[in-house]
Amino acid sequence: MTTKTNKGDRRNQSALVSQDKRGKGGAARKGRKPIAPVKVSKERNWGPIAMFAVVGLLAAGIIGYAFWAQWDSRALPWQEQAAEIEGLIDYRAEDDSVMGEAQRAHQSGPVQYDTSPPAYGPHNEIWQNCQGDVYPAPIANEHAVHSLEHGAIWITYNPDLLDESGVDRLASLVEGNEKMMMSPYPSLDAPISLQAWGYQLKLDDPGDGRINEFIRALRVNSSLEGPNARCDGGVSTTGTTPIA
Amino acid sequence: MQPSVADMAHDDAGPAEPTLGSRRFGLATLAIAVVAALLAGFAIGVLALRPAAAPADDSPEAGFARDMITHHDQAVEMGMIAYTEAELPGVRQIAYDIATNQQGEIGMMHQWLREWELGPTAAEPPMAWMPDGDAMGGAPMPGMASRDQMAELREAEGIAVDQLFLELMIDHHLGGIHMIDGVLELTDHSEVVWLAELMKSGQQHELEVLRNLQQQAADHSG
Repeated sequence: MTTKTNKGDRRNQSALVSQDKRGKGGAARKGRKPIAPVKVSKERNWGPIAMFAVVGLLAAGIIGYAFWAQWDSRALPWQEQAAEIEGLIDYRAEDDSVMGEAQRAHQSGPVQYDTSPPAYGPHNEIWQNCQGDVYPAPIANEHAVHSLEHGAIWITYNPDLLDESGVDRLASLVEGNEKMMMSPYPSLDAPISLQAWGYQLKLDDPGDGRINEFIRALRVNSSLEGPNARCDGGVSTTGTTPIA
Repeated sequence: MQPSVADMAHDDAGPAEPTLGSRRFGLATLAIAVVAALLAGFAIGVLALRPAAAPADDSPEAGFARDMITHHDQAVEMGMIAYTEAELPGVRQIAYDIATNQQGEIGMMHQWLREWELGPTAAEPPMAWMPDGDAMGGAPMPGMASRDQMAELREAEGIAVDQLFLELMIDHHLGGIHMIDGVLELTDHSEVVWLAELMKSGQQHELEVLRNLQQQAADHSG
């Protein structure tokens, strides 16, 4: 890239140099004196006008195309993709501290969270494995929130409000995909709730298209540690009490 | 360092105009035409120097990046398990090498996606970018270990860790090379070609090492 740009610069410079030389040549020409105008030709000289119009249009077209090509086919930034999801709760927008150090603190033992299920907050130093793990039983919030910090999507569901085929449908979105995990959440006030760090979406229907929108916008992108944070090396234990 | 338009207006263009009026008109036209030509030249330059259009969301390049990130992700997990649990020093060493290398490559591929302004999550199913992509025999990608195999590796002890790791990683590499060959057939994107070829030569070399270690592990347990 850099070398290409330099080449281009050189090419442009050499073009400019020759322009300069011609300019000097013009300046060095002798015998040019201002002459009082005598008569202005009323004949329009259409040749240069046409030439200029064509060159001007061409230039405008090329410039326009260059900028259009730059802007065209640009995907929306992920934050804007998320903002377009109807019903999304954006805790990051509501409160700056969601992204602050205090909310990222490591803490042992149980933690009281602002929301249920939690979508951010102090958490256990050990994360819950989120390598496409589908947990059959509830997991500890304190481990799960640490996974959110790594950019995982945590799908929770109320086993009393979602039937088995619904659970299977959600599981198929999780299995085999790193930065995804899923667990039942018996006290959930909706059939389904999706969490990413600072974001939440509650839904009724496992076939709702917003589930994929949420995952596409926020999986990995929501990580506070960049895309290289891992989802293995944590715990795969179930049970709602953190292991330390 | 643009020459000023005034400088260039001294320039004579084409045949001398017969009358003074048209001559003055010619100078003005010339000045404007030169500006227009400069702009056109600039625009052509911008177009010519633009990096090749970024791969699209459903391109082989993007599909390869996303699927290879997932594929690599599992290799890192296998490598970290073997690095801490394997018996043979040679196995722990190659596991360390594979885990650190592939995690670094994951970062590079995430960076491609960022530069192409594409998300890390695909809209299409895994391997849709490859011509034979749907013939994966159940596994999301060629050479991927199953959930049960990964559980078995985590629970293994002693030389069984070495043996299972070597077996799974050899399959994993063979599948990875199949994906790499796939993208090399489909792309001429220089960065993608460069990393794909680097991965291929690296994994082919590692296959040799892994097979030699399999012999060592067999001798060790037998």
